Parts: sequence; C-alpha cells; structure tokens
Amino acid sequence: MTREEIIKSCLIFATGLFLMAFTLGPFIWMIWISLADRADFLVTGQVEYSLSNYRQVLTAHSLHFLDYLSNSLWISTITAIIVTLFSSMAAYAVSRMRFPGRSVVPLLILAMSMFPQISIVGYLFEMFSKAGLINSHMALILPYIAWTIPIALWINMSYFTQIPLDLDKAALVDGAGRMKVLYKIIFPLALPGIFSSALLVFIACFNEFLFAIMLTIDYTAQTLPVGIALFQGLHGEIPWGNLMAASAIASVPLVILTLIFQRYIVAGLMGGAVKG
Amino acid sequence: MQATKITIKSLAKSFITFRGKVDVLKSIDLTIEPGEFFVLLGPSGCGKSTLLNLLAGLEKPSGGELYFDQELVADAVGKFSGPFERDISMVFQSYALYPHMTVEENIAFPLTNLPQVPTSDVMRTKVKEAATLLQIDHLLDRKPAELSGGQRQRVAIGRAIVRNPKVCLMDEPLSNLDAKLRNEMRAHLKDLQKRLGVTTVYVTHDQLEAMTLGHRIAIMNNGVLQQVGTPVEIYRAPVNQFVARFIGSPTMNMLSGELNEEAGNLYLQADALKIRLPAETAGRLKARNLKKVTLGVRPERLYVKSEGEPDLALPVNVIENVGPEYLVYSFHQQGQIVVRTPDEPTGDRLDLSLDAGHLHLFDEQGARINL
Ligand SMILES: Nc1ncnc2c1ncn2[C@@H]1O[C@H](COP(=O)(O)OP(=O)(O)OP(=O)(O)O)[C@@H](O)[C@H]1O
Ligand SMILES: [Mg+2]
Repeated sequence: MTREEIIKSCLIFATGLFLMAFTLGPFIWMIWISLADRADFLVTGQVEYSLSNYRQVLTAHSLHFLDYLSNSLWISTITAIIVTLFSSMAAYAVSRMRFPGRSVVPLLILAMSMFPQISIVGYLFEMFSKAGLINSHMALILPYIAWTIPIALWINMSYFTQIPLDLDKAALVDGAGRMKVLYKIIFPLALPGIFSSALLVFIACFNEFLFAIMLTIDYTAQTLPVGIALFQGLHGEIPWGNLMAASAIASVPLVILTLIFQRYIVAGLMGGAVKG
Repeated sequence: MQATKITIKSLAKSFITFRGKVDVLKSIDLTIEPGEFFVLLGPSGCGKSTLLNLLAGLEKPSGGELYFDQELVADAVGKFSGPFERDISMVFQSYALYPHMTVEENIAFPLTNLPQVPTSDVMRTKVKEAATLLQIDHLLDRKPAELSGGQRQRVAIGRAIVRNPKVCLMDEPLSNLDAKLRNEMRAHLKDLQKRLGVTTVYVTHDQLEAMTLGHRIAIMNNGVLQQVGTPVEIYRAPVNQFVARFIGSPTMNMLSGELNEEAGNLYLQADALKIRLPAETAGRLKARNLKKVTLGVRPERLYVKSEGEPDLALPVNVIENVGPEYLVYSFHQQGQIVVRTPDEPTGDRLDLSLDAGHLHLFDEQGARINL
C-alpha cells in the first residue's frame, strides 16, 4: 500500500466509526436503559439488569402496547401495499406510454408533497370528523397514501426508466401481450425499485407522528409513536424503562423488514440487457 | 416453408414532436423478394431503424401501404397488425436480452407465447437446435450479464430464429463487436440465412457489411431511397454522388470543374488540377454540351503511368503501406485524392492515366450522367 492509500483507508475507517457511533449510540443507550430495572441507575450507581420492563410492556393491558403495535403494522402494511401498487403502475405509464402531460404529471405530484404536513392537518381533521373517520385506521391510511405516493412514484420512476424500451419491443415481437410484458419482463426487472419504495413507505408510515396524534384519539387507532409518547407513569413520573423497552420492540419489525428486503434491493440486476 | 415477399408502397413516417412535425421517411417504394437477404444501408439518423420498426409492426405508418405476400398488414387509415400477427422476429440494435432470464429462457421466450405452447420437451429440443446452430449450446444456463458481446449477439439471433418466423429483421446486430469477431459473425450470418431461407432485412451503416451480406442493397439518405440494386450494380454504377461516396473504401475521388476543349482534347479544370479525359469519354461528353461536371474515380482506377504524357499528375503528400498495396494521398483544394497502387511510388510526383470504362460523371445536381 502506498502512503496515500493508507491515509485514505484510515480516513474511511475513522469516518465509518464515527457514523456508526453517531447512529448506534442512542440505540445502545435505549437498550441499556430498557434492561435496567431503575432508570436512575446512572445517578445512584446501583443497577440490576432484568427483563421486567419488557414483560410489563408486553403484558400490562393498561399500556395497550400490543394494540399500538398491531395498529401500526396494519396501517403501514396496507398503505405500503396500496402505494406500491399505484406508484409502480403510474411509473410504468409515465416511463412507457405516450400521453399528453406525461412529463408534467410527476412534477405536479411531487409539488403536492411540498406542502408541510402541519398546513393540511387541521383541514384533514375537519374533513374526517364530518366523515366520521376520526380514530379509525382509515383516518391514517388515507392521508398516508397521499403523503407517500410522490416519493414512491419517483423512486419507481427512476427504476422503470432504466429498463430499456427495447426490452418491451423485443417482448412484443416475441409475441407477448402488453400484460405479459408487464409481469414477465418489466415488473421483475423493476423489483428492486418496487421493494425499496415499499420499504420506505412502510418505514415512513411506521414512524409518522403528526397525522397520527391529530387524527386518532385512543388505542383503537393510535400508532406506536403516539402510543409510546403518551405512556403515563403510575406516579406521575416518566416511565423511562417501559418507554425504552417499547421503543426497542417497536424497532424490531423495521429491522426484520430491512434485512428481508435488502436482499432484493441489490443493484446490477439490469446487467447484460443491452450491449456493452 | 414458403418464404414471404414484402411489398412497400409509398410508405411515409413522420413524428410529431415539441419542435413540430419531423418527416423521417418520405414515400419509400420497395419490393423485397421471398428468401432474400436485403440490406438497408445509410448514414446514422437516415431512418433505417424507423423503416425496420414499420416493417416489424412496432410503429404505425403515416402514409402508404405495407404488404406481406398479398396481405395488407399496415396502412395509414387504420389497417394494422402487430408484430406477432405478422410473424416476424427481430434482432435489436441493442441486443435487448431479458437480463433476469437464462440464455435458455431467453431463446425459449417466443415459444412460450405461441397460441399452442409446445411441451417443455419440444421446447427444449428447439432451443437446443437453435443454440447448437449458433454454437452457444454450452451457455444455456448462463444469464446475459455473464456473456461476451459476441455470445449475447448470438443469443439474440437464436431468439429470433427459434420459431421459424416468416421474416427476420436485424438492426445493426454486429455494430458493437470488435473487427475480428464482426468478420466471423458476418460469414456466420450469411451462411445461416442461406440455410434457413427466411426473408431477411438487415440494417447497417457499414458499407462493407452491406456489400458482403446483401443479395440486394437499398441505400437511404434523409429518409429517401437513393438506389436499390445488387452490390455489384451499385458499386459499378452509383446513381448519384451520395451513393458513390458511401460505397467503396477508400471513398471514390471526386473532382469538379469546368470542361475545356484544347487542341482536340477535352480537359477538366478542377481548381489547379488539369485532367485530360480519355478520348472515348470526351467524344460522348461533347455531344451533351455540358459545362460543369464532377468526375468520380475510385482509387484503384487511377493507374500509375511511367512513360508518355499522363492524363493527370498529382503531387505526393503521404504514402501508406496497407499490406499488399500502397495508398498514396495527394492534397487538393477539393479534398484529398487517393491512389491505390501495388508498387511503392518514387519521387514526389505521380503521373496517372484514366480508363474510360471506369469513370463516373455527375452533373451539377449530383446525379449520374450516363454516357
Ligand atoms: N420517436 C421519435 N420521435 C421523433 N423523432 C424520431 C423518433 N424516432 C426517430 N426519430 C428521428 O428519426 C430520424 C431517424 O431515426 P432512426 O432511428 O430511424 O435512424 P437510423 O437510421 O436507425 O440511425 P442509426 O444508424 O443511428 O441507428 C432521426 O433523426 C431521429 O431523430
Ligand atoms: Mg438505428
């Protein structure tokens, strides 16, 4: 190795270490506190490790943790499925079909996502109140769909436009109908994009706070971020242990999902389609 | 199998874009005989791929009619059958292999779309047959990304021939291969087409490919057919300057100027260069009473003359040795003049003579003057 390479790898290593400490730090802190039986162990210096926080969170009915978790999972999953379906079809249309305004539509949709959430949440509350949707899953699924579709569309578009048009033509010449081209050629190749958009939408919905706190009232529809934020201690103190245990459990689905999906979100699936 | 005849009648195609209407093809008339290896030749952007897409049924014509045998397959008023109904196959300019499928699945894909899907045994046999013909039968399990350019190209051809189409269309299939592989594949393709006997339309911008592959060649420029004929016809008698320049390598020498008569001889005064035309040519030209012409002579038809008075004399600027022969370059106001000669020239002046049988004359519009 030359001097330059040594310095380079040192810098890369140091930066990596710093980033890891920066992102994992709070996470480790959270796990640590959740495992301690008393949150003030740093001050008192006495600590006993136990799983009691986890047991409490999972079993105490008054905390409604499992309700929040299932609300979150349902709402995020349904939103992710619907958004992925629509955004991938739209991306196909925009990248494949000639229709007036095909370059304007994606921009308009993107522009729509520029409104800050806070500016529309009041109106949403009024509208959903009239429709009797407040405190239902629908009250979150509907705005989430509108809120995440632009980003999903743009992710999908970037993948769909990478697929050469010649592949469509080749498949048409080979006798495949439009639908078969779609599910045999285009969708399999756009899969990484479809998966990454689905994952991002799921994560966004899973973490969303503002809509969730404004449009839901109790555990029948509240999601994890809201539920955890509203955890009440028994004696008026903040139950740090429970809070951290709940947060730790709440991150498990995301970790699992990311691990499953990252296998599909590999680059280079397009290799060998065209010359070069 | 009965091969298909393609008849193209005043076919036109224009695209509507933001900048307005673009006429890419202007009234093409052409007949392609059954079983013929027909080559479309032209510079980049002249509309070759567009014409091929029209034949394939991937684009709709804006004017004219297109027949496969007696059957009308497309016109401008609404009759249109798609690629599959026309029973054509196509090798794309980019090979357009399906990257997520193996070579076997790629070649088998057209078979899976047949109205009666063959059994997997039949399918495997057919794929194997095509692959063996193209010498890629050992690669069937690979993905396109794991293949070399030449192998990908053969997979694309395999996919095109596997279901015995009526017409095979090829869009510059060899343009991305290195020179050696290209020569090999060229011979291979020619042999393959002869064996299969399928009507083939082959697009290229490489005149050498066109000359060696085609039974007949159509030369296009700016969406207009310039000339259709066998390679020999086109080489011997190009109908205009464009065709003359496009066919042959090195390109034909072109010199324009005024005709003068002096002491019974006819001379062409091309800027500083004075060329004496052979008596036979001169006689016929005089009858035409032309003032300005362009003279075209291929490099190998300029003969070095060691004694007697030359028809023209050129200063020697550069000499290139290309294996068995020499290319002598002489710089002239109207571009360089190339002479091809078996012997290395000595001295800085080259005396040359012309042969009346191998001169091409063009009028001021660039059209051939038939003497
Ligand atoms: N969909 C389209 N819209 C507008 N113009 C087009 C379209 N397709 C092709 N053209 C134009 O038509 C002309 C001919 O294109 P075409 O692809 O047929 O050229 P080509 O002869 O195949 O060239 P090359 O050798 O580079 O492949 C080009 O000037 C191109 O810009
Ligand atoms: Mg082309």
